[in-house]
Amino acid sequence: MFEEQRQIIASILPFLIQGLWETIKVSIAAIFLGSILGAVLGTLRSFRWPVITGLIGSYLHVFRGSPFLIQLYVFYFVFPQLGIPLLAFDSWTASMVALTLYTGCYVTEIVNAAILAVPSGQEEAARSLGMTKLQALRHVVLPQAFKLAIPAMSGVYVIIIKSTAILSVVGISELTRQGEVSILRFPASIMLIYGVVALLYFIYCYPVLRFTDWAEKRMGGVRIKSD
Amino acid sequence: MDYLASIYNFRVVGDYLPVFLHGIFATIWISLVCLVLSLVLGIFLAGLRTSSSALLWRPAAAYIQFVRATPLLVQIYLVYYGLPIVFGSVGVLTEAVSGIIALTLHTTPYMGEIIRSGIESVDKGQREAARAVGMNGVQTMWHVVLPQAFANVVPTLLGQTAVLIKDTSLLSLIAVFEVMSSGLQLMSERVMPNEAFITTAICYLLIYAVLLAVSNVVERRLGGGIYRPA
Repeated sequence: MFEEQRQIIASILPFLIQGLWETIKVSIAAIFLGSILGAVLGTLRSFRWPVITGLIGSYLHVFRGSPFLIQLYVFYFVFPQLGIPLLAFDSWTASMVALTLYTGCYVTEIVNAAILAVPSGQEEAARSLGMTKLQALRHVVLPQAFKLAIPAMSGVYVIIIKSTAILSVVGISELTRQGEVSILRFPASIMLIYGVVALLYFIYCYPVLRFTDWAEKRMGGVRIKSD
Repeated sequence: MDYLASIYNFRVVGDYLPVFLHGIFATIWISLVCLVLSLVLGIFLAGLRTSSSALLWRPAAAYIQFVRATPLLVQIYLVYYGLPIVFGSVGVLTEAVSGIIALTLHTTPYMGEIIRSGIESVDKGQREAARAVGMNGVQTMWHVVLPQAFANVVPTLLGQTAVLIKDTSLLSLIAVFEVMSSGLQLMSERVMPNEAFITTAICYLLIYAVLLAVSNVVERRLGGGIYRPA
């Protein structure tokens, strides 16, 4: 009965799996780089140094106030126009830079909130034991903040995985893009192909999502606004 | 000054100002329609989700999880190509209508979950008191629980509205006219990426700034966020 559909799925699945693998690679790379960036900026922001806090604040506002699509277009189309050779990104670099900065702004906010959520008595106790400010941060505050940040961080990872679909518009051959290419081969089964694409995204995202829900219930932790 | 003019030409942007204004207007009305629809459907979905009958809450939970675990772009494509297959090509299914349906279907679960957390934050005594003075279930919900639930989650709902406005940018990919499309129009007619995309970004940041100001006022009026849904 579904012979035709089965054949179509059989012939496109290898390409879709390849796309899913690309999606996984891009998302993990962005999450890794973005988390490092966010951890550094979030810690810096928690010091409340006037100029640096302001700079980081405007970074957060710009990246959270505009859609990811326009950020991607700016890195992909505008930066090569500025006449600086280093900024002449190809589609891969532009995607990575945009996605990393986008991840970074979420992580910055979470890390900052997590550090502020650690009771100030902890730092004062560490300081009174003779630790320097940096030692107190490293041995006392950050380990506790890290635990508070886990649920919110895994929530961000779901957002980032879903945002990689937008990279298809600059021609990164991730899952959505592979789906579009498959539709060129089988134009009559658009719904079937997008259905399979959605299912593959679901298989990748759902465990992370369940972990987020579980961790939120189990550990509580900090929350940021979802925008 | 010459360098600045070579990377951002104000005269061209001035020429396209009406197009961008038109785009901002379109973005705002599309977002407003989606906001209202998803709030109404969200209340309904929150009701289904908290129902004690497995026949009601399981499908609702499945829908919520499906939307949360798949990208908006794929959902938009599914709705855009799927609707004509289901309903045939009736004339009313313009791109804007498809886009609004897709965005509403995407935003409803998020709104529903926020409203649910708001309803759960209302003290049980309130409900019992309402029942004790003789209100029925619907009256209790409408006159006692929902007003308090909304007051508690307004800041979160505004945050989700900001996400909704940003999400409308993806509708440009199915040829709905909004701010992003006006940028793309400048790009395709003049091939000036800087003017096209930086202006579009500025438009979005302006909308965001207005929303931020509104949410600051609201939070202050509500007493600085007494309740933050956990």
